Amino acid sequence: MITSPAPGQTAAARQWFLARTDLASLVDGIRATGRRLIGPTVREGAIVYDDIHSAADLPAGWRDEQSAGRYRLERRTDDRVFGYTVGPTSWKRFTFPANLPIATAHRTATFGFDQPVPEVTPMAFLGVRACELAALNVQDRVFLGGQFTDEDFRARRAAAFIVSVQCTTSSSTCFCTSMGTGPEVHGGYDILLTEIDEGFVVQAGSPEGAAIVAKLPTRKPTHAEAGAAVDNVEAVRTRIGEPMPIPGIDARLKLQLDNPRWGQIAERCVECGNCTMVCPTCFCTSVIEKSDMDGKVATTERQWDSCFDVAFAKIAGGDFRARPRDRYRQWLTHKFSTWMDQFGSMGCVGCGRCVAWCPVGIDVREELMIIAPPIAPVVRPVAVEPVAASPGNFSVARLASVRSETEDTTTLTLTDLDPAFLQGRPGQFVMVALPAFPAVPISISRFRSNGIDLTIRAVGPTSTALVNLHPGVKVGIRGPLGTFWPIEDAYGRHAVVVAGGVGLSPLHGLVDALVANRDRFESISLFYGTRTPEDQLFRDDLAAWSVSKAIDVAVTVDRAGPEWKGRVGVVTTLFDKMSWDCSKVTAFVVGPERMMQASVQGLLSKGVPSDRILISMERHMECGIGLCGHCQMAGRFVCKDGPVFRLHELGDMFNREGI
Amino acid sequence: MHAGAMDDYAAVIAILNHTWFGSELAPETQERLARLGTLQDFEADEVILQEGEDATDMGILLSGRLALRTHVPGRGPVTILSIEPGDIFGWSAVLDSTKTQSTVVATQSSQALVIDGTKLRAALKEDHALAASLYPRVLQAVGRRLRATRLQLLDLFAR
Repeated sequence: MITSPAPGQTAAARQWFLARTDLASLVDGIRATGRRLIGPTVREGAIVYDDIHSAADLPAGWRDEQSAGRYRLERRTDDRVFGYTVGPTSWKRFTFPANLPIATAHRTATFGFDQPVPEVTPMAFLGVRACELAALNVQDRVFLGGQFTDEDFRARRAAAFIVSVQCTTSSSTCFCTSMGTGPEVHGGYDILLTEIDEGFVVQAGSPEGAAIVAKLPTRKPTHAEAGAAVDNVEAVRTRIGEPMPIPGIDARLKLQLDNPRWGQIAERCVECGNCTMVCPTCFCTSVIEKSDMDGKVATTERQWDSCFDVAFAKIAGGDFRARPRDRYRQWLTHKFSTWMDQFGSMGCVGCGRCVAWCPVGIDVREELMIIAPPIAPVVRPVAVEPVAASPGNFSVARLASVRSETEDTTTLTLTDLDPAFLQGRPGQFVMVALPAFPAVPISISRFRSNGIDLTIRAVGPTSTALVNLHPGVKVGIRGPLGTFWPIEDAYGRHAVVVAGGVGLSPLHGLVDALVANRDRFESISLFYGTRTPEDQLFRDDLAAWSVSKAIDVAVTVDRAGPEWKGRVGVVTTLFDKMSWDCSKVTAFVVGPERMMQASVQGLLSKGVPSDRILISMERHMECGIGLCGHCQMAGRFVCKDGPVFRLHELGDMFNREGI
Repeated sequence: MHAGAMDDYAAVIAILNHTWFGSELAPETQERLARLGTLQDFEADEVILQEGEDATDMGILLSGRLALRTHVPGRGPVTILSIEPGDIFGWSAVLDSTKTQSTVVATQSSQALVIDGTKLRAALKEDHALAASLYPRVLQAVGRRLRATRLQLLDLFAR
């Protein structure tokens, strides 16, 4: 009996109070309508759902103590009737029986297959919790929501009168608040009970429910009683605690199909299938055939089955989910991810039965947070306000150290500088000046705790003067200027850094940032090409990155002598190493423009999206703030709108001659 | 050069399928190549083909790394290209009467499927399906190398 609250009445107007000593009147009143009353009763050390003949069958004064792999009944200090949470049975036993004849085949005088017409005795479910109402709704979507429906379920569901009970107690296994299913009940009942110290606050949710309530020895609840009902349920929400970060877990799980945790769980899991049997929504079944001795009449019976069953995914040629880890992954990803694709909701309602009834105590909540932890929200940084922004105005820094990288390239470490420089982002640059020399733009190759590195190739008078400085001298700098690498674009993806020659300089800080946030990325790769082995920058860092497991480093050179045992060939040959789905690649590319063009072509042909290819452009820059016009590239100033661009921002300006 | 017994064609085909060169060949071609070739292991610094000698064998590198070297008078051997797993070497052997264009040296211990050129050419003449499947792939490999060589020629990192 699928119902919803009667419109036009406020909740308060529909409330009654029923003393606990008068609960028998409700039991008897429902049974008097001819319905089979099913509700909680104590049997074999557990509270199960079964036939209720009188109020004496109900579990007054019992509570359940539950945790992972543990369920025990204990005596309460009071005589509450619904002072437990949920037991091993669920209502699916009555809406979706464990064994159900679904057809009879006969080869007697005639040949054919007959389907039974569902004949269901009217039922009443007493003590349906909020999570269980949610489970019935999940079953509705599975069995009645699609093109093909289960008519036996439809008949059983329609035949069920529902007396729901709001939870005023909780177990450590409960997580309805995480799944958004409880503890409050919102509709879907004929009668709703909330148990308080002296009895029950009662509400009716359908005309049939109201008719039964009208015959009970009720009175209007006092203000205190109505308030206690609300407070008791709210207290359960507080006791269950902080909800788990479930939103988005369906997408997060899809990225974790190869997580090693599946194998670790499989070592504990005994594949008993308890979790699927006690689950109020699991619906997988198999059919068995029963034949009479002469083979003339056969019955087809549907039975509950489990995706943990070794034969569940087996075909003549093999088994699609042969390993225990495959089967556990199937179950968990179905419940929390692919169920959403199929039915528009999660397959879990947070009742916690699978946690309590797992004989080895596997806690689905713990596993979910290990396999698919929440990803912290992406916060896109904003560029720090540059220091000494106007041309000619320089802040002063001290040269702390000078390191030769190659024959013509040197790294300077600047310290004693304005703190704004330390807050710059990888990809940004500074204008560097010495008295009597024109200022030059230099990428920040590394951010240190108290300084920045500038890696400079000596090609003109200023750069040559800079690389010949000695530690201790002062230089003028402006910045940090320009756009920076949006590393957030690579979150959850394969980050591929493609560097050519001194192009590794503006990428060094990016690699540091990627490695520092390793967990954010599916993988990190650095593809680095130089003219000869001697032209490689940052050789110590390359060696350190190569031995770390955080990043896959591949280097190649254009030419080499016989002593070089590494790769020889252009940097694009390294793209053969991208054996992934390249639509999930975010690439960061810097090098001579012709090399960037070849790299971009290679990346696009592998399927990397153009808005996920980031490049850093080089142009003649003097002011660094978009006022002098030197670095104009069609509608953009490379110094201000760049140097870092998304490829699609540049359109056909990229590598067009004469732009 | 250590010739290994080719008693397990399926294993060779499985390795071929993990290489860019082999993975898109027709299954029949993969099997034919596995049967024509021998699986050979090379030690580091072992010379596999010598520049200027008759092109006798074509190989598909399955693991390790090889260097293609050319001798430049006054500069000695210059490595112009490294061969990575999945690349071919000695492709001149698909043509009649040619000389090997460069010296092929293993720079680390490597394994390759090596196919005798005479047998390969005979098979290509007699089996048109094999030729139709293999020639385009060889041409693609040569084309890749040609494009990469052009970029090398541009000397992009020159000062």
